[in-house]
Amino acid sequence: MNVLLYVINLLQTGLGSLAAYLAAHVLLCLLPAFFIAGALAALIPKEAITRYLGRDAPKWISYPASAVGGFVLAVCSCTIMPLFASIYKKGAGLGPAITFLFVGPAVNILAISFTGVQIGMDIALARIILSIVFGVGIGLLMSVFFRKDDEAHNDETSSSRAFAQGAKVPATTWVFFVLLLGVLIAGTLQVGLLTNSYATFTLPGTWASGFQSWLDSVVPPNAALGIEGVSVHGVLLIGLLIGIGVTAWFGLNTVDEGFNRWTYVALALVALTLVVASFKVVAVDAGLSVGITGKLVAEVVLIGTVWWMAAKFFDPYAVQEWLWEMWRFVKQIIPLLIVGVFVAGMARAIIPATWIRAIAGRNTWWANLVGVLFGVFMYFPTLVEVPIAQTFLSLGMHRGPLLAYLLADPELSLQSILITNSVIGKRKTAVYVALVTLFSTLSGLLFGAWVNGANAWLIAGGTAAAIAAIAVVAAWLNSRSGRRQAAVATGSH
Amino acid sequence: MEIKILGGGCPNCKRLEKVAREAAADLGIEATFTKVQDFSQIMAYDITSTPALVVDEVVKVSGRVPHKDEVKALLQEG
Repeated sequence: MNVLLYVINLLQTGLGSLAAYLAAHVLLCLLPAFFIAGALAALIPKEAITRYLGRDAPKWISYPASAVGGFVLAVCSCTIMPLFASIYKKGAGLGPAITFLFVGPAVNILAISFTGVQIGMDIALARIILSIVFGVGIGLLMSVFFRKDDEAHNDETSSSRAFAQGAKVPATTWVFFVLLLGVLIAGTLQVGLLTNSYATFTLPGTWASGFQSWLDSVVPPNAALGIEGVSVHGVLLIGLLIGIGVTAWFGLNTVDEGFNRWTYVALALVALTLVVASFKVVAVDAGLSVGITGKLVAEVVLIGTVWWMAAKFFDPYAVQEWLWEMWRFVKQIIPLLIVGVFVAGMARAIIPATWIRAIAGRNTWWANLVGVLFGVFMYFPTLVEVPIAQTFLSLGMHRGPLLAYLLADPELSLQSILITNSVIGKRKTAVYVALVTLFSTLSGLLFGAWVNGANAWLIAGGTAAAIAAIAVVAAWLNSRSGRRQAAVATGSH
Repeated sequence: MEIKILGGGCPNCKRLEKVAREAAADLGIEATFTKVQDFSQIMAYDITSTPALVVDEVVKVSGRVPHKDEVKALLQEG
């Protein structure tokens, strides 16, 4: 086989995947998502949530608060670990700390929106719901398993005031978040009202269809592998993205110290990119057919309002911090994501679909477990699990094992296991890893059954039965150790 | 004056150190700066999240990077 042709084919597949990932619908998801992540990191004081995680907080407050905290506070993995350690050592104890540790990486706003747009809202929603349900479940189970240890160290740390401070999130911040979310949803919701063109005009230029044909020959669409190819619209957006990258480098690197000319240019380019992405652009014989869609109107209004609110209602330093955090996440995640997408794209052409279908093509215990183990042992940078998952999907993996993989991958990496071990010790870490494996497999199995068309009540019943069984086992273990403790205390055996 | 920056090396921790140094320099305060990166040493202080600013063993700020003016005020109150 001609090696050169093979390599070229590989590169085309990689490029095709990358271009598809830079297409309009992804930009309309990721750009706003990064701004939301930055806002979560900069505009929400941690005390607003940690006040509910103190030692004296009742369980029905501390567990939900941990789950919410996992979503709001844990956008960056560098925040998760210290918070986890504090909640454990100085706050509400092992249970809520574990819930926080589990939910944080699982419902990362960037990962969820990216999953929703690239793979499907069903998986994204399943990811959120199952992570929170099982996050609380795993936390409760661990707090029951290790109740003795928990009570022991509770006494040690009673003098901590770390969780005593509170803070409130002002109403303007809530409104601001709703607007930012609106920008994200308006751009990505696949609903006729938003995606239909209400007026179309054609920009003349016979170069358009020729250019499109050339693009199709350089980066051919391949429906069998799920590659969409590059459109003229896509090339324009990629150009704008490069422009944002360059101007943001100069304008946002030190935005915490102040705005400069490039800051405004970069922000204007971001707004322009979102607007351009909202048009519906198709290359036709006469030129470029441009449609004015519902989402275009929505985005213009929403982005304008965001800009106005930021200027009028927020401290300049708060805005600077927001932009700095946003840019920091971009620098941390995007380069690795681009490489990851490219490699995952090439993998599509290399990995035989028959392998994937044989191992994970159907919703079995084994398939789900393999999905989980792959996520645990293969480390991928944040967000890269999405293109990897999409490659598997296009090669024939069932959606159940796919969810199992997506749940397990962000949770357990060698680094996170090591740090967790340093905080809670080997035994608890081992139990945690086992529980995450079990529940991710179970989640995948249940979701897969739902995808296959199983009765929703049956699934809900199955889940409830599983949880009940575990709770019974845990309660039995608990009472056994309690009786043993009492026996020891009274001096009898 | 002893100023400690608690944090494991994430970008915010570096930013806090920079702001703290500039604030001290602006005020003309002589201070020793220590970066505490070891996890167990960090958790010995009563904080919930990094980065944190500790002045003469008193935790002044934790979980965020304050503006230089705020740091100056904190340094001046002693």
